[in-house]
Amino acid sequence: MNSKFMNFLENMLLPIADKLNNNRYLSALRDGFMVALPLIIFGSIFVVIANFPFLDKMISEEAFTAYQNALGPASAATLSIMGVFVMIGIGYKLTEHYGGEAIYGGVVALAAFLIMTPQVLDGVSGVIPTSVLGAEGMFLGIFTAFISAELYRYFVKKDWTIKMPAGVPGAVSRSFSALIPITLTLTVFLLIRIIFSYTGFETVQNFIYSVIQQPLTVLGSGLPATIVAVLLIQVFWFFGLHGQIIINSVFDPIWYALNDQNLSAFQAGTELPNIITKQFIDSFLVGMGGSGMTLAVIILIFMIGKSRQLKELGKLGAPAGLFNVNEPIIFGLPIIMNPLIIIPWLVAPVVITLITYFAMYTGMVPPPAGVIVPWTTPPILNGFLATGNAWQGGVLQAFNLLVVIVIWWPFLKILDKNYYETERNEAK
Amino acid sequence: MKNIMLACSAGMSTSLLVSKMEEKAAEKGIEVNIWAVAQDKVVKEVENADVLLIGPQMRFMKKKYTVVAEEHGIPLDVIDPIAYGRVDGEAVLNKALELMGN
Repeated sequence: MNSKFMNFLENMLLPIADKLNNNRYLSALRDGFMVALPLIIFGSIFVVIANFPFLDKMISEEAFTAYQNALGPASAATLSIMGVFVMIGIGYKLTEHYGGEAIYGGVVALAAFLIMTPQVLDGVSGVIPTSVLGAEGMFLGIFTAFISAELYRYFVKKDWTIKMPAGVPGAVSRSFSALIPITLTLTVFLLIRIIFSYTGFETVQNFIYSVIQQPLTVLGSGLPATIVAVLLIQVFWFFGLHGQIIINSVFDPIWYALNDQNLSAFQAGTELPNIITKQFIDSFLVGMGGSGMTLAVIILIFMIGKSRQLKELGKLGAPAGLFNVNEPIIFGLPIIMNPLIIIPWLVAPVVITLITYFAMYTGMVPPPAGVIVPWTTPPILNGFLATGNAWQGGVLQAFNLLVVIVIWWPFLKILDKNYYETERNEAK
Repeated sequence: MKNIMLACSAGMSTSLLVSKMEEKAAEKGIEVNIWAVAQDKVVKEVENADVLLIGPQMRFMKKKYTVVAEEHGIPLDVIDPIAYGRVDGEAVLNKALELMGN
């Protein structure tokens, strides 16, 4: 490949990566999800334990129900209402970025969201439907957190204070310093709620859900958008840029919302609505040795590698690769800027996306159950957990690994031969 | 004691480097404190560092971190991709020492 062209591409991609990653909203969004992640994983662990395979056949139905009910609150309080933690995280991080009192940014975001949330369910008032705290309210929560943090900052900067008579302790007047910005911010959201109650949408929830979230998630759950996202991740990595983290900051809200829809269905025992979810990407595309499924490459090196360079790389990369950390392979093979390797690098993930999608579409393998599996979970176990403890998920990952090995075979063979010959010539 | 902070997306791949760098430092008898952080922890931990090295896959963060590093008056750079791929502790350690002016 022409090196001028490569330079041109890199010079184009670097600013994009820079913009996406350093955009204050996207980086607050990404960090907000990071805040929620430990809680999400806690909930996921108990969904996995509550749904141990064959357990329902080993103990009585009654005992199994009691068992599931006992563990239920773990995920109901975390995974199912992850939107709450995400929006607190976003409000916190964005306010922190502006140098304000971050904790206020977090709680104001939550309060603003709750103000706009319908507090009635099936005619019963005084309740907050948990569904809107999870997938359904995800987008509204994100926008609310952005806007509330902005408004809070704006009102803090205006510095409208209540003048206290001389002699009032400083701490008393300071206690009002957060009061005014918070009051004004939340009043704005109350007004928004009231205005929307006079529209056909009735609630802001409905408006955001039907106008933004629904179309975006439908688009994001489709194969074309997924393949574009997967290819972009690979292209960024090809230039040595962390594709996953760059693309995630755009796709995470969609992928997590789809994930949560599946979780609700999984726990209700109904048909899982989505195939493409956060865990589809994390388990079947990343959870196979890292982005680009490089565990297959490591296995292939052990199988056919002759050159010292690749053999050493295999030894170096294997322990980390098992836990889906693959920088040694990406920079060491190297995959970056390697015109020979770009072919399997781009082809394999697309093929695996298609195979996995097809396997789930036809029902051979259950779609992801909505749990979040830590991304460092080794392959096969990863697929098993992601599909709600279905052995088919593990088998699919093993099969996919074989497919990637086959795709890479000829290319790695050529690369190995080049290295081997260079080494022999050097030895002469 | 020299404090060397490495940063990447989750602090995973740089932590591979940490142990290799520590080995080399011990061999050379240099007292160092090396640790790896996730990209969102850089701002918080930078005050403990004498030098900041960024994983090449996160080099698009350099601009942002330069501001942070300058505030604390510490040098920073992106780790060489080849040294990174080889998990070459010696090369990266030397780079860190060089940046700190040794």
